[in-house]
Amino acid sequence: MKRFIVFMAAAALLVVSTGMAMAAFPTRPINLMVYTQPGGAIDVFARKFEAIAKKYTDATFVVVNKPGAGGIIAIKDIMASKADGYKILAVTKSNISKMVESGSDIKISDYSWIAMMVSDPEAIIVNRESKITTWQEILADAKAKGGNQLWVGPAKGGNDHIMAMKTWRIAGIQGKWIPYESGGKAMAALMGGHGAVYVGNPQDVVGRPNLKCAAISATERLSGEFADVPTFRELGISGLDEEIIWRGFMAKKGIPAEARAFYTELFRKVNDDPDWRKYILSGAANPVFYEEVRFTKIVENDAKEFKEALVGLGIIK
Amino acid sequence: MDLLDSMLVGFGSLVGWKPLIIIIVGVIIGILAGAMPGLSPSTAVALLVPFSYTMTPELALILLTTIYLATNYGGSITAVLINTPGTPAAAVTALDGYPLTLQGKAGKGLGTALIASTIGGSIGVIVLVLFAVPLAHIAIKFGPADYFALALFGLATVASMGRGNIIKALVAILIGLMINMIGIDPISGISRFSFGNDRLYDGFSLIPALIGLFAVSVVFAKAEEWTGFNRTLEKVGSKLPTLKEILEIRGAILRSSIIGTIIGIFPGAGSTIASFISYDVSKRSSKHPELFGEGSLEGVAAAEASNSSSVGGALVPLLALGIPGSATDAVLLGAFMLHDLVPGPLLFKTRPELVYGIFAALIVANIFILLLGLYGNRLFIRVVAVPDAILYPMILTLAVVGSYSVAGSLFDVASCIGFGIMGWLLKRYGYPVAPVVLGIVLGKMIETNFRRAVMMHGYSVFLKEKLALAVLIIAVISFLYPLMKQWKEDRAKRAAHSWKT
Repeated sequence: MKRFIVFMAAAALLVVSTGMAMAAFPTRPINLMVYTQPGGAIDVFARKFEAIAKKYTDATFVVVNKPGAGGIIAIKDIMASKADGYKILAVTKSNISKMVESGSDIKISDYSWIAMMVSDPEAIIVNRESKITTWQEILADAKAKGGNQLWVGPAKGGNDHIMAMKTWRIAGIQGKWIPYESGGKAMAALMGGHGAVYVGNPQDVVGRPNLKCAAISATERLSGEFADVPTFRELGISGLDEEIIWRGFMAKKGIPAEARAFYTELFRKVNDDPDWRKYILSGAANPVFYEEVRFTKIVENDAKEFKEALVGLGIIK
Repeated sequence: MDLLDSMLVGFGSLVGWKPLIIIIVGVIIGILAGAMPGLSPSTAVALLVPFSYTMTPELALILLTTIYLATNYGGSITAVLINTPGTPAAAVTALDGYPLTLQGKAGKGLGTALIASTIGGSIGVIVLVLFAVPLAHIAIKFGPADYFALALFGLATVASMGRGNIIKALVAILIGLMINMIGIDPISGISRFSFGNDRLYDGFSLIPALIGLFAVSVVFAKAEEWTGFNRTLEKVGSKLPTLKEILEIRGAILRSSIIGTIIGIFPGAGSTIASFISYDVSKRSSKHPELFGEGSLEGVAAAEASNSSSVGGALVPLLALGIPGSATDAVLLGAFMLHDLVPGPLLFKTRPELVYGIFAALIVANIFILLLGLYGNRLFIRVVAVPDAILYPMILTLAVVGSYSVAGSLFDVASCIGFGIMGWLLKRYGYPVAPVVLGIVLGKMIETNFRRAVMMHGYSVFLKEKLALAVLIIAVISFLYPLMKQWKEDRAKRAAHSWKT
């Protein structure tokens, strides 16, 4: 009997201690890395996450800004740290294009792509006060100009440029990509009438009444102020239903199982949080929760697509 | 609701101790951050964004915009006292401010910078309040050809910086343009001269280059001519400028404030270019152009009035269109988003108390900058009374910390020291360093806008666009004129020489 009690006690202890070991992440503050300065879109995303995560965990997230080289500095910083789960990076699709474009030795398989949290559809945006305000008018004007229709947007070889080239190919038109230092400056150019079309996301027209979405890359129409924006499919264009910019979190490959469990649980809860959904939806994007396997596939596919496009453009070999 | 009512609502929102405390705190942080080399306005504002998250949107934005305004003044303090521009735009202030300190007139330099800053800052804000919406719509009409012309005009201001030797100034500007070539090609996306180094992917950061060229070079020069441990400046001179002196340079202050505001409005131009152009224009229209570079109050006033007024200008596209016009604007845009607000024309309708509250706060902030600056000057000026053996190591420490703080990278510290050596060598052989900064600041703007304009409309665009053409012609003339003058002088000198022998 005594032996049985000892056995039970030992078993109980074991259960408790493994339970504690499972709950033992995190025991210290977690660094949530951001690849821009404070105030960048991804920084706002990380800080909103940090504020909302507080509701569901006692863990402390410290947002650390590590800007430079379009995210490559921050991605390499993750690689240089221990795979203990105490450092995660808020990533976005444009980091992948930078990774490919810079020809850096970063390997997607060296990282654990923990969760994708936002899916932001690409949009074709026009100036309401110009002569070209609908998709049909874009098509007609592009055909009339024969390759000299000006499309403004951020850097050559970035997400939006590749979206534009895809659109041209599928719609059977030709355009000229005029790159600007940032999306904001390209939008100013569109407002000033220096270009006909801007490629961005629905959020770009929020609060800017003279801009308007002409087409959106989504399977269904968005709600609210975008209810009257047609999808590509409705416009008779197929193959542009799922062009998105994503945002999510990643860490170094090989983080402990309990850290992974902690993050999966937390991201799931945050994704269900009404304030989080409200914040993402206010930017006309969709809150999602794709776990590692699905997210990794998306990242790998993007890298492949970027590589093909950048080779095609002659930016990389 | 007309403007007066709106402004009353704006000032109304400042009633109470909280907004006023926030403005004072913002001004103090701004002045100190501005004075700290390495903390440019955008970095200073960015550092406070997380902190402001916990505040109400009104207070947060008042804090951040106040800091933005005050940093542009703060940058002048270290520029005048120790030749270390706290902000890129203050590089121009150092051209005349530091000579004033060396002549024992530090108080005059600081006082002129302060008064010019507050007048410029106020004019910028008033223009913002009165004309934000129409000006923003005019500004976006300017295309790449116009920007190219403006930037080239900025480059032509190098003529004011040669201190008599324009060829050496040209060499310096070419060095700046060459440094600017390093890093990703903004149009084609191809990496240039980075040799596979990730740290060079974006090119050299401006701040470490600036600190190195201006501050570290002075330390090296001092080390070379070392005269002893206890040497200090012979005369500190805390006397402020007199009312008469200020009245004499009122033309330069007003003109530079207008130039600064206008250039500030253009998305992507910015306060540094505004300061260089105002300095050049003031020199050309001054009664004493020979004093520029030797400690001219007009020179200090032109630079400071211009960079402070550009803040009001830079807020024009942000508030009226929701387009960030400067690096700091981009950070502010993020701060708006963090508080679930979208800056732009709709904000005037949905949250007028917020927009006009910011306007009112900026006007009040100018008054506090003047008051706190007058008080602070008495403290700051003591810096130069410190013996060289302490002052110069301190400057070096500031330089290291400042360049590290830009991105938390030792690479920036190393490049700061490298630029220090370059600056020391340049100065040793009589080459001015300010044109190097001008080249770095303007290079990208010239290159991208030229290529963009040609991509859009072909080479003939520079002849077709009337405004661009006019500005280009002015730029060429203002560039060639001093060259011709020097050539004539040289020829006269040579003739006199050969006649003698």
